[in-house]
Amino acid sequence: MKILFINNDGAGFADHIEIADGTTVEQLFRKRVNQGSPADYLIRVNRQPASSDQVLQPGDRVSFTPTKIEGAGRI
Amino acid sequence: MRFSPLAWAKLLFLRDLGPTEVGGFAISDAQDLLYLEDFVLIRQECSPVTVAFDDEAVAEFFDAQIDAGRRPAQFARVWVHSHPGTSATPSRVDEETFARVFGRSDWAVMAILAQGGQTFARLQFHTGPGGSLQIPVAVDWSRPFAASNWPDWNQEYLENVRPDEFCHHQKFREHAGPFSVSEMLDVLADDSHQFFNEKGPT
Repeated sequence: MKILFINNDGAGFADHIEIADGTTVEQLFRKRVNQGSPADYLIRVNRQPASSDQVLQPGDRVSFTPTKIEGAGRI
Repeated sequence: MRFSPLAWAKLLFLRDLGPTEVGGFAISDAQDLLYLEDFVLIRQECSPVTVAFDDEAVAEFFDAQIDAGRRPAQFARVWVHSHPGTSATPSRVDEETFARVFGRSDWAVMAILAQGGQTFARLQFHTGPGGSLQIPVAVDWSRPFAASNWPDWNQEYLENVRPDEFCHHQKFREHAGPFSVSEMLDVLADDSHQFFNEKGPT
């Protein structure tokens, strides 16, 4: 089945990818993210936060976006 | 790295609008990724010396940009934020964020604009041997550019910049425009003095 996958790592892309039926969010993460932990990403399915065991459906929109983007001035 | 005059004007306008730091992403030209066409605020909580993006707002920004037909390389590679005072040198927090968040992409730029006008930009890349280098910042006047849009920029600021509790201090509310570092330290010193006078020694 196909899903729309938005990933910022590497070159970054938003494209339709083929995944196996029954793939969970966690399985997709393990397959697509080479380094980093889930805590470093906000993982959403169809613009809603997703649990790791959520089973993906055809046509889902999945995004892995960075978290904790913080800056501070020097005093 | 070159800002369009419009992006540069907007960045300066937003930097000077309130008493806090501000941050966002630059939008790059599709064919020339180090030419920055626009600067977009992300919903954020800010103090005079910090800025932290809202994680959900970052995800929403990604979705909106993808829907607009852009690639992450155009909207998520140039992280821009302001600093109080005159130094645009990255802080430890800046460095940690740049390594942790942007170290996983092929390339990224950390760009900082200080209140005093100093700029800083560092390009890091992870293709080939990888590396990083400081790059110059300029405004590119060679292309046509649109006029300023203060009402929309002001609205974007109001919708996205959330001053933290410190900024609700009376001296901040009464102050027009950005605080200098020394003014901010004065406020903190006054607060500490008042606190210890009221509480007494412990």
